[in-house]
Amino acid sequence: MTNDLSAKWELSRRSVLGGLGAIGASLMASGAFAQPAGPWATPPKTKVDRLNFVVWTYGDIYTQIAKRFEADWGVPVDSTISSFNDHPTKLTTMFAAGEKIDVSQSSPFSFPNFVSQGLVEPLDDMPGAADYAKDFTTFTKQVATVNGKLMGLPYFAAVWVWNYNAEMLEKLKIDKPFTSYDEFTEHCVKAKKDGAARYPVLWVAGVGLEQLPGTWYQMTWNKGGTFFDKQGNHMLGAGSIARETLKWWANTFEKGLDISDPESLKVQFTTSAKAFGAGKNLYRGPNHHYGLNVCNDPAQSPMAGKIKVMDSPGDGKTIADAHVYFITTANRNKEWAWKLLQYLGGKTKDGNYTQATSLAKDAMLGSGYTSVMNSDAVKTGWAPWGDVPTLLKIWDKSTYIGEVCSSVYQPWHFPWTDQMNIEVQKCLTGQITADACCDNLIKGIADAKRKV
Amino acid sequence: MNVPTLLLLGAVLAYPVIYAGYLSFHRVGLAQLRRGEFAFSGWDNYSRVLEDPLFWTALKNTLIFTAVTVTSEIVLAVAIALLINQTSVWTSRVTRFLILLPYAVPPIANGLIWAFMYSFQFGFLNRLLFATGLVHDPVNWSGNPDTALYAVAVPYVWRTLPFAIILVHAALQGIPRELYEQAAIDGANAWHRFRRITMPMLRQIIAIILILRTAFAFAVFEEILAITQGGPGDATWVAAWYSYKITFAPPNNFGMGSASAYILALMIGAIALVYMRFIYRRVTL
Repeated sequence: MTNDLSAKWELSRRSVLGGLGAIGASLMASGAFAQPAGPWATPPKTKVDRLNFVVWTYGDIYTQIAKRFEADWGVPVDSTISSFNDHPTKLTTMFAAGEKIDVSQSSPFSFPNFVSQGLVEPLDDMPGAADYAKDFTTFTKQVATVNGKLMGLPYFAAVWVWNYNAEMLEKLKIDKPFTSYDEFTEHCVKAKKDGAARYPVLWVAGVGLEQLPGTWYQMTWNKGGTFFDKQGNHMLGAGSIARETLKWWANTFEKGLDISDPESLKVQFTTSAKAFGAGKNLYRGPNHHYGLNVCNDPAQSPMAGKIKVMDSPGDGKTIADAHVYFITTANRNKEWAWKLLQYLGGKTKDGNYTQATSLAKDAMLGSGYTSVMNSDAVKTGWAPWGDVPTLLKIWDKSTYIGEVCSSVYQPWHFPWTDQMNIEVQKCLTGQITADACCDNLIKGIADAKRKV
Repeated sequence: MNVPTLLLLGAVLAYPVIYAGYLSFHRVGLAQLRRGEFAFSGWDNYSRVLEDPLFWTALKNTLIFTAVTVTSEIVLAVAIALLINQTSVWTSRVTRFLILLPYAVPPIANGLIWAFMYSFQFGFLNRLLFATGLVHDPVNWSGNPDTALYAVAVPYVWRTLPFAIILVHAALQGIPRELYEQAAIDGANAWHRFRRITMPMLRQIIAIILILRTAFAFAVFEEILAITQGGPGDATWVAAWYSYKITFAPPNNFGMGSASAYILALMIGAIALVYMRFIYRRVTL
């Protein structure tokens, strides 16, 4: 998730704030998830004066959580909030400077790094931790469990989906969105030829850990490929699916079919959703599912209600990821930090998954908990923005990104991703060929390892 | 009086610089930095930086960026300072005030404003060019590898130009009017007066601007962060962006980041020395 997601959140935070309270109250009343006798309701034996968390901005949910925690437990919570992109820098500099940090959060890409650098406390021995782990979705387990140890609780989860402009598709007299990559090209060429769209497809190919790389990962995985095999050997050589996918992708840009919106190279998840909401493109994707929350929001998009979600081509294989909260090794008091961690990524004192449920209902975010994903919070909460059965079907076919590109578990993944952003953008802008790009990336693995 | 000043400078300036130098010779990650225990690594960090092709790309981009921005700033600063120095024109007083505005804009905000201006389909710049019939297809200013670096240079110059204008304007006001009056009596036209009086009298201040602006342009960061984040590809990777990414993005190699920052600082120092030796001294003698 990027900081542009937080911008989107600003527009709907009022509903979230209301939602936090309302959901908590209604679920408490109904007893839907409430298990007040659990360890989340038991006060720690030790005492602390205050606690803190270091997080990236998301409306003012953290202010609300801090208030609620203080009201429930009588311990004030300080928050250090920065933008998504600045968060790792903020966290790591605070950690390096010897400051106290009880709880923080991480993208799945930074997390193995934070663990290997000794920033993260294991959670296995905490009361109720095993119950949380049992409720994790498959790919949340893959992110939150490192070397067999539970290291975090889920913040949110997302799957990569395609979106299409139903109104434009209808005008083009195309009865259904593409089901193969050949059909995709055919539709886009037609849309351009008929003057319906100058650039029929908007990709999410801005620089980032999940944006441009995520798009390549998803299409490669969908076509049956990966970036590394089980032994960690790269799968980028001549004839590999990743390389052929890149060739195909690059051909959609200016030097080839010229059907790709040049803005693709700059947009992140939410900015691309906002741009797609302007109605100038036929297809957008593949990327985080919750972009529909922007495209189909009448307050943000003139195309609200006309943007649909669709399955990926072929057998519909796609990728997913989950972001996590964790206790840092620089905590004041692990018992209390665990208590605070649960308010962010687990259950509140009343036994509800308060935050996960609110985020699902109000921001269309997926949850790392199976029970929340199976609840009405998702089934009814997502309905205003997208076709829930289709989304859940896609969810079931998703695989954690780490299975597609296993370097996410390696400390050198970051510098290698920097190079990937550079080389792939050079390829997409016609400065180098896909073959040269992949050859450079193969060589770059050794270079990235040297930077660690 | 010098001792407290020296101590203060030592604490505020010298300590972090020396500490960064110390880190650059050690293997330093997050955990080591927190524990304060670093393994000595000799010149390893420096050699890893110098062996990294991305560092050289970033350096090349930095040199181009510096040459373009510093040259533009000096030419524009002299031209604009001459215009606002026309005391007989009342609008020059308004201009003098307005010219300061960009300097008051925080660099990161400046970058974001221009990022919106450059937007491919929805940006103000393309809209303006469309409206005036100058283009028929939108121009991908910051997304095209051939134009991206210059697209970043424009907002940078826009933000930093007032500083140069103020200095040149102050210098212009220090030139005795009698010189111009005598030259006019001798029949010198405006161009001759500019070439024979104004420019020689501005040489010192231009040399100072050259040194200061070169040092600052070498360390450009905020506009890169806000507009391109180094992209597309490596088209706008500059030296400070390289150091930032190496240091603050996982795996947080503080040692290598410090080494790259030191190399950059040494280069700026060397260029400043060249300027001092061959330009500043010559114009002050």
